Amino acid sequence: MGDVILTMKGIDKSFPGVHALDHVDLEVRRGEVHALMGENGAGKSTLMKVLTGIYTKDSGTITFEGKEVEFHNTREAQDAGIVIVHQELNMLGHLTVAQNIFFGREFKKGFGIDDKKMNEEAAKLFQKLNIDIDPTDTMSDLTVGKQQMCEIAKAISHEAKVIVFDEPSAALTETEIEELFKIIRDLRAQGLGIIYISHRMDEIKVITDRVTVMRDGTYVGTLITEECTKNDIINMMVGRVIYEDPKTHSMVPEGAPVVLKVEHLNAGKMVQDVSFELHKGEILGFSGLMGAGRTETARAIFGADPKESGKIYINGREVTINTPEDAVKYGIGYLSEDRKRYGVVVQKSVAENTTMATLKKFVNGIFINKKKEEQVAQDYVKSLDTKTPGIDQLVVNLSGGNQQKVVIAKWLTRDCDILIFDEPTRGIDVGAKNEIYKLMNKLAAEGKAIIMISSEMTEILRMSDRIVIMCEGKITGEIGIEEATQENIMNLATREIS
Amino acid sequence: MENLKKNPLVKKIGLNRILLVGVLIVMYVAFAVISPTFLSYSRIMSALNYVYFLGFLSLGVTFVIATGGIDFSIGPVMFCCALIAGYSLTSYGVPMALALVISILVGCCFGIFNGYLVAYWSVPPFIVSMASMNIAKGLASVFTKTQSVSWPQLSAEGGWYRYLVKVGNIPVGLFIFIGVAIICAIILNKTMIGRYILCLGSNKEAVRLSGVNVKRWEMTAYAICGVLVGIAAIFFVSAYTTVQPGYGDQYNNEAIAGCVMGGTSMAGGLASISGTVIGVFIIALLQEGILALGMNKNYQLIITGIIVIAAVYFDVLGRRRKN
Repeated sequence: MGDVILTMKGIDKSFPGVHALDHVDLEVRRGEVHALMGENGAGKSTLMKVLTGIYTKDSGTITFEGKEVEFHNTREAQDAGIVIVHQELNMLGHLTVAQNIFFGREFKKGFGIDDKKMNEEAAKLFQKLNIDIDPTDTMSDLTVGKQQMCEIAKAISHEAKVIVFDEPSAALTETEIEELFKIIRDLRAQGLGIIYISHRMDEIKVITDRVTVMRDGTYVGTLITEECTKNDIINMMVGRVIYEDPKTHSMVPEGAPVVLKVEHLNAGKMVQDVSFELHKGEILGFSGLMGAGRTETARAIFGADPKESGKIYINGREVTINTPEDAVKYGIGYLSEDRKRYGVVVQKSVAENTTMATLKKFVNGIFINKKKEEQVAQDYVKSLDTKTPGIDQLVVNLSGGNQQKVVIAKWLTRDCDILIFDEPTRGIDVGAKNEIYKLMNKLAAEGKAIIMISSEMTEILRMSDRIVIMCEGKITGEIGIEEATQENIMNLATREIS
Repeated sequence: MENLKKNPLVKKIGLNRILLVGVLIVMYVAFAVISPTFLSYSRIMSALNYVYFLGFLSLGVTFVIATGGIDFSIGPVMFCCALIAGYSLTSYGVPMALALVISILVGCCFGIFNGYLVAYWSVPPFIVSMASMNIAKGLASVFTKTQSVSWPQLSAEGGWYRYLVKVGNIPVGLFIFIGVAIICAIILNKTMIGRYILCLGSNKEAVRLSGVNVKRWEMTAYAICGVLVGIAAIFFVSAYTTVQPGYGDQYNNEAIAGCVMGGTSMAGGLASISGTVIGVFIIALLQEGILALGMNKNYQLIITGIIVIAAVYFDVLGRRRKN
C-alpha cells in the first residue's frame, strides 16, 4: 500500500426525514483494494454518490491527492480521476464495444465520428488490461462478464486514479470473477486506489486489503482484512442495539393449518427451486440481501411475473396462478415495496383505491354504488386510523405510512387470507412504522397468513414467527424465531452457494 | 384569480370549463360583430352539422385518451363506416335501418381491432392507429371500387334517417348528441368501465396488481370509441350526403383538439366529457367563423394545430407544477 490518495472526513448528508450519512469517514491509499461493507441501507451507495458528485454533501471534506475537492456532477469527478463501475451496467446494447467506451467523447473526423480511431484506442486499452474483447463487437452480444470488463476499460480510459466497484461480481460466473480479480490486482499493482463494495464475505477476504464497515449511515470502523475474521465483520455490520424488542417465540397456534404451500418454484435466475409453507396466523419473514430474489419470488407467486415451473397449493388444493387476477381470486394480496408505482393509483382518491380490487362488490346493475363504496372506505379509514382529510382526498397527498394503510385497506376489502408485505415499512417514519407493525400483528392474530419480505434485520426479528432466508435466488435456510439471531441470519444470507 | 379558484361553484364546475365557455361566447360575439350573416339560421344549422359528427368522434377519442392511448384512425374509419354502409345501401339494397347498424358495426370492429393490438399485443397506440387509418382507407376504396357514395335525400326512399339531424326546424341532432354525451359521462364517471379506464390510464401496473383484467378494460375503451365513430359516420352523411374514399384525416386532429382542450389529459387518467362537448363547439364555431369571414380554409388547419399543441402544453405544465 502506498500513500493516501483519497480521504473523506465527517461526511454528512440528510434527506427529508432521513439522516443518510452521519459524519462518515473513509480513507483509501494508492495500491489498495478497500472494501466498503454494510447492510442494505447502511449508506454505502449514498457515500459513493457524494464522492462522485451525484449528491452534494451537507458538511465534511473530501481530500483527493492532497487537495480539497468538491464535485458537482459525475463528469467533474471523472475528469479528476474518480470513476464508478455500477452494479447495473450503463451500456447501450446496440452500439459496439468501442462506441460504448468512448460514448459522449467520441473522436471526430470532420463532421463524422472516427470509428477506426476509437477501435484502435479501445484495442490498446484491452491490451493494457489483458482482456480479450474485439472492440467492434456489438455490446449486447457479449456476456455480462465481458460487459463488465468493458465498463472497467471505460473507467480506465478516463485515466482513473480511484475506481469504485459497486457489487461487481453480482452477475458474474465463477470464472468471470477470477478474471475480474486478476484485473483488479493488476490495477492495484499500478498504484490505483480501489473501493470495492460487495456483500460476499468470501470475496472480501480474497481480494481486499482493508475493510471499512458502515451501519445505519454511520462509520463503524476500519479493519485490516488479513487480521480479521468473517464473524468480526458481520458483528460490526449488525451490532446495533435493538431498541425494539424482538419476538421471543412463535405466536402461531400449535397445529395451525398450512394455507399456502409452494413447491419447487422456478422463475428466471432470481427464483430457483423455491419451496416453503405458510401457516394460518403466521408471519413468515423473508430475509436476505438486496437482489436475493425475495421480491421476484413474491411476484412469481402472485402471478405478476411468469413462472417456469413449480406448484402452488392453497389450503391443500393445487392452483394455477398465471395473472394477478388469478391470485386475487384465491385470496392472495400483494403489497409492493414500491407503493407509488405498484400499490396505489396516486392521482385517484382514497375511496377509489380502497375498492380497486373489489369493485364488482360495489356495483348495482352497471352503476357503482358510491354510497356503499364511501361507507367501506370510511370504515377502513377509521379502523386503520388512516390520516387523511377525507376519503375523496387524492392518495398522492398522503404520507407514505398512510398510503400503505390505503393499500392494506384495499386487500382487507377483498378479505384476502394471504397477504404478502414487501418491505412494509420502507419510506415510512418511525411512529407510523409501529402502527403498521401493530396492524400486521392484529391481522395475523385474526388468522391471516402473512409473508413479510424485509431487508431490515430488526423488523425481521421483531415481527416474524419463522424466517426463511434467501441468497442469490435460492432458499439457504429456515429458522424459527426462537433460534434466530442477527448473526445466523446474516450468515445464511451471505452464504455462497456453489 | 386565486379567490375565483376557491369559490365552491367554480371548484365544482372546474375553472378550465368556465374559461372555455367564456372563450366560446367571446368567439361567437366576435364573429357576429365582424360578419353580420353569422347570426343567420342557416349558419347556425351549418355549425351544428359540424358539431354532430365531430362531437361523436371527440367523445370516442376521449375514452381512448383517458387510457393514456391515442387514436389517429377515427376520421378515416368514420369515412370507411359511411362508405361501406352507404355502398351496401345503394349497391346491395340493404334497408336503411340495417345500413345504420352496419356503420356502427364497422366502427366497433375497428375499435376492437385497435384495442386488441394495443392491450393484448402491446403495440404502441400511435402505430396501431396509423396503420388502421391506412387499412380503413384501403378497405373503403376496395369495397366501393374507389367510387364516392351518396346517401339518399330526405325525399328518397330510406331518407328518414335524416330526421336524426333535423325534423322541420328542430335540431334533433343536438338533443341526440347531448343525450349520448350524458350517457358517455355516466359511463366514465359512474360505472366500473369508466373507473377502470381512468385508473389504468393513471397507473396501469398498480391496477393490474390489484387483480384487475386491465387488458380487457383497455380494449373496451377502444371499442366504445369505435361505436361512437360509427355513429359519427351516420351524422356525417345526414349532413353532407356524399363521402369519398381516401379522406378523413383532417378530422382526427379536430376531434383530438376538442378533447384535449376540454381538459382530458394526454397522459391518461383524467377525462372530462363536458369539457369535450364545449371543446367541440369551439372547433365547430371556428370552422364556421372562418367560412363566414371568407378566409381560406387552410387557416383552420393551422389554428387547430396550434390549439392541440397549446392544450397539451398547458396540461404538461399543470402536471409539472403539481410535481
